[in-house]
Amino acid sequence: MPPKRKAPGTQGAAAKAGRTSALSTPGPGTPRSLDSSMMSEEDEDFLNDEDVDEAQKQREDMLAKEADQFVNKWALTSKNVDGGEEAGQRTYDAASQYFKKRDYSHYQLKPDHQNRPLWIEPDGTIVLERFSPLSEQATDFLITIAEPKSRPSLLHEYRITTHSLYAAVSIGLRPQDIINTLDRFLKTPLPPRILNFISSCTQSYGKVKLVLKNNKYFVESVDTQLLQKLLADPQIRAARISGTTDISTSYAPTMAGLVIPGTKNAAGVHQADLKQGNNQNGEQGQAGAEADVFAALNEEDDDDEKEAVHSFEISDASVETVQKQCLEIGFPILEEYDFRNDNVNPNLEIDLRPNTLIRPYQEKSLSKMFGNGRAKSGIIVLPCGAGKTLVGITAACTIRKGVIVLCTSSMSVVQWRQEFLKWSNINPEDIAVFTADSKNKFSGSTGIIVTTYSMVTNSRERSHDSKKMMDFLRGREWGLMLLDEVHVVPADVFRRVISSIKSHSKLGLTATLLREDDKISHLNFLIGPKLYEANWMELSQQGHIAKVQCAEVWCSMPPEFYDEYLRANSHMKRTLYAMNPRKFQACQYLINYHEARGDKIIVFSDELYSLKQYALKLKKVFIYGGTGQAERMQVLENFQHNPDVNTLFLSKIGDTSLDLPEATCLIQISSHFGSRRQEAQRLGRILRAKRRNDEGFNAFFYSLVSKDTQEMYYSSKRQAFLVDQGYAFKVITQLANINDTPDLAFATPQERRELLQRTLVDNEKGFEQDAETDDLFGKPSGRRGAGGARGRKAGNGVRRTAGTLGELSGGQDMAYIEQNKAANKGLKGKGAGKKADAGGQNSFFKKIQREKEKIKGAR
Amino acid sequence: MPRAIRGVLIECEPAIKSILIHIDSTQLNNDAIIEDLDETHLMVKEQMVKTLQARLDEKLKETYRVEVPLDDSDEDKGM
Repeated sequence: MPPKRKAPGTQGAAAKAGRTSALSTPGPGTPRSLDSSMMSEEDEDFLNDEDVDEAQKQREDMLAKEADQFVNKWALTSKNVDGGEEAGQRTYDAASQYFKKRDYSHYQLKPDHQNRPLWIEPDGTIVLERFSPLSEQATDFLITIAEPKSRPSLLHEYRITTHSLYAAVSIGLRPQDIINTLDRFLKTPLPPRILNFISSCTQSYGKVKLVLKNNKYFVESVDTQLLQKLLADPQIRAARISGTTDISTSYAPTMAGLVIPGTKNAAGVHQADLKQGNNQNGEQGQAGAEADVFAALNEEDDDDEKEAVHSFEISDASVETVQKQCLEIGFPILEEYDFRNDNVNPNLEIDLRPNTLIRPYQEKSLSKMFGNGRAKSGIIVLPCGAGKTLVGITAACTIRKGVIVLCTSSMSVVQWRQEFLKWSNINPEDIAVFTADSKNKFSGSTGIIVTTYSMVTNSRERSHDSKKMMDFLRGREWGLMLLDEVHVVPADVFRRVISSIKSHSKLGLTATLLREDDKISHLNFLIGPKLYEANWMELSQQGHIAKVQCAEVWCSMPPEFYDEYLRANSHMKRTLYAMNPRKFQACQYLINYHEARGDKIIVFSDELYSLKQYALKLKKVFIYGGTGQAERMQVLENFQHNPDVNTLFLSKIGDTSLDLPEATCLIQISSHFGSRRQEAQRLGRILRAKRRNDEGFNAFFYSLVSKDTQEMYYSSKRQAFLVDQGYAFKVITQLANINDTPDLAFATPQERRELLQRTLVDNEKGFEQDAETDDLFGKPSGRRGAGGARGRKAGNGVRRTAGTLGELSGGQDMAYIEQNKAANKGLKGKGAGKKADAGGQNSFFKKIQREKEKIKGAR
Repeated sequence: MPRAIRGVLIECEPAIKSILIHIDSTQLNNDAIIEDLDETHLMVKEQMVKTLQARLDEKLKETYRVEVPLDDSDEDKGM
């Protein structure tokens, strides 16, 4: 193994915790199961990888626990933050019991509180009144110091966390400024707890940085006392490379001179010129951008002032020990990558194409990443369809060193490569793809590799080519690691990736930084803090993503179905509430309505049995895990271009990775329990809708729910994320004139009873698994232990019937008619039909036939 | 000779009626319901009304918590 590679076990969350700490934006107050054993299926693929030996598993568990402890230590709600108890001025009245701990009615209001827009709670939550005249400035200020939690139309909620304070400090805000401004906006005086929290966080964070300069590691700080303190620690002293001068001094990096390609500032300015001291344009441009932020504070010193920083060098191998030690001492280390002064790693010739325009929110997110001229690692959250790929590509073009891109599936690998070629002028030979099918390398000293998570994390035996590839990946230093759909990867897997591939900076991209099992906080260490989160409502108002009207349609269950539902076990319950005949009717009604408007409709169903039944009954095309590749492509083509095919039924595979830009209407008939992420991802499928010229909403999202069942409960949980982003769910209890629909499915009670019977019988023998081949992490092999009968296709297609052989073989006039022809076949029919007529019989038999006839004729 | 049983007429939504029938058959050993009249009406024994009500309340509380813990979703094979 190359010497620089870190051994998998020793590097852990605690070491990486050298970057700032803890709290990601916690989800809204919906009940979440914190059971750490609960994971979605995609994770199971990794954790059941039997090649990970026991020792490593134990190490990983231990690291996970350490990470948990660390996360908790830095939370504002923990005991460490000294706030002093809210001593006895609380008054109790009749309403107090509903608020319990959160009863803040005893706070003093300032006399002019009507004019001020902010409320604050001692746990760091800030509530902003959008209808106040000062709300604009308050919003700008809050974006810099806090993380948005919930942003519906009138009251916004933000949360101050350690990460957000760090971000504020890193762009130059001083703690006193933060406190003063906050105080100016608040209706009540600032609670002492928050005051202490802000002071302590800003004091300790951002003070010590770990910088890679000229391929050497330096521990850097503005404060010499601090460095001396660190050096007093024996381990750190041991790590320092003796022979260099004790503490070297240099100038602090500023953003001056760094121009992010594609932004307005870049127009007409070449990166190369700036290095030679053409600083004027750059500085002014940057100062202009920052000006809005600081307008509210209006006491910021000018950016031209250069501060002195001091640093000492440490050896490569001891980086983690140093990080750990600094953490113990109380001054966590940050990692930043100074790519402009990195002369050891070869430069990658890449630039954005001149016609590429970066949208303002993309620019904002990148400026947060490159805030002080160096590349910070972290996660950027943008809604689906807003252009995350372009953000990643622009970051790569700014850093201009080797890049490795990790995606979820091989289809997205191909898509990323195409996007790179589309938006940047990189040489096609410099970008290489590493998947199960193709393993090329780039020629030249540096380039871009696009691969999948599973390729780099699987530690089982590889083919020789793969192994060579992996060694190649591990053996070099990458400038940037781009992580697509970063919410999918669980932390444990991530540790493995990070330990094997060495990269200076990491950028995670996702639309939904949510997991039901709360492992996001670990990602904060492993990758970095959340750098930027976009405002969905704002983006849709500006027209970058579609405006969506969300609605929940309540379908009542007929009595027979409901009786069965009460008696059934949980699996059966799911099937039953999905197979509700009133849902069929609602679905049919909505499909007819929207097709008449000319919309393209996608219907999602998580449950496989109902997907097939619906698609067959309503005669629409469908795709699920078991659909072959060729058929999938054909169906997708038809959906996009054929005016007759307007509705497509999709199973879970459609949640991510398939790019369907044209759909404008989404109907959801069954879903995966309370997964907020899934709801948001599905919504993302239609956010790309192009702007239509008619009024109001241009996209629709329907969720069909069966009344009086568990589905109602799950549905309210799922909407939590979208509600926080500002979407309001309308409830439709009745569809007008539904009984007038021609050809209404299951209109008579008898049909309904038949449906019930069929459902019960078909599902008695077990449930068909949705084998997701090659989507996300689905690999059919090696998936044992992930729950019972996954490996063997139990009960699939096996059915016992009794009868005489004569009957069964058709000798007794048993005839078969296909009642509900699969619409998929209809598509194939036209092409195949022609061939069938033409080559009906094999030529050999035709010849025999001809000869027979000749003989007959001759006789 | 005709036999008369004193009962109470209950009028409710079809879904609740299903739940009542379900409770009756599983928990009360078919003790409470005398006759099922139509989709929204039930005839119930007088003494059993209170018990039935109590059980119904209990059952409806379960809608706030899911009866089956969310762990189940992981074993949900690929769905």
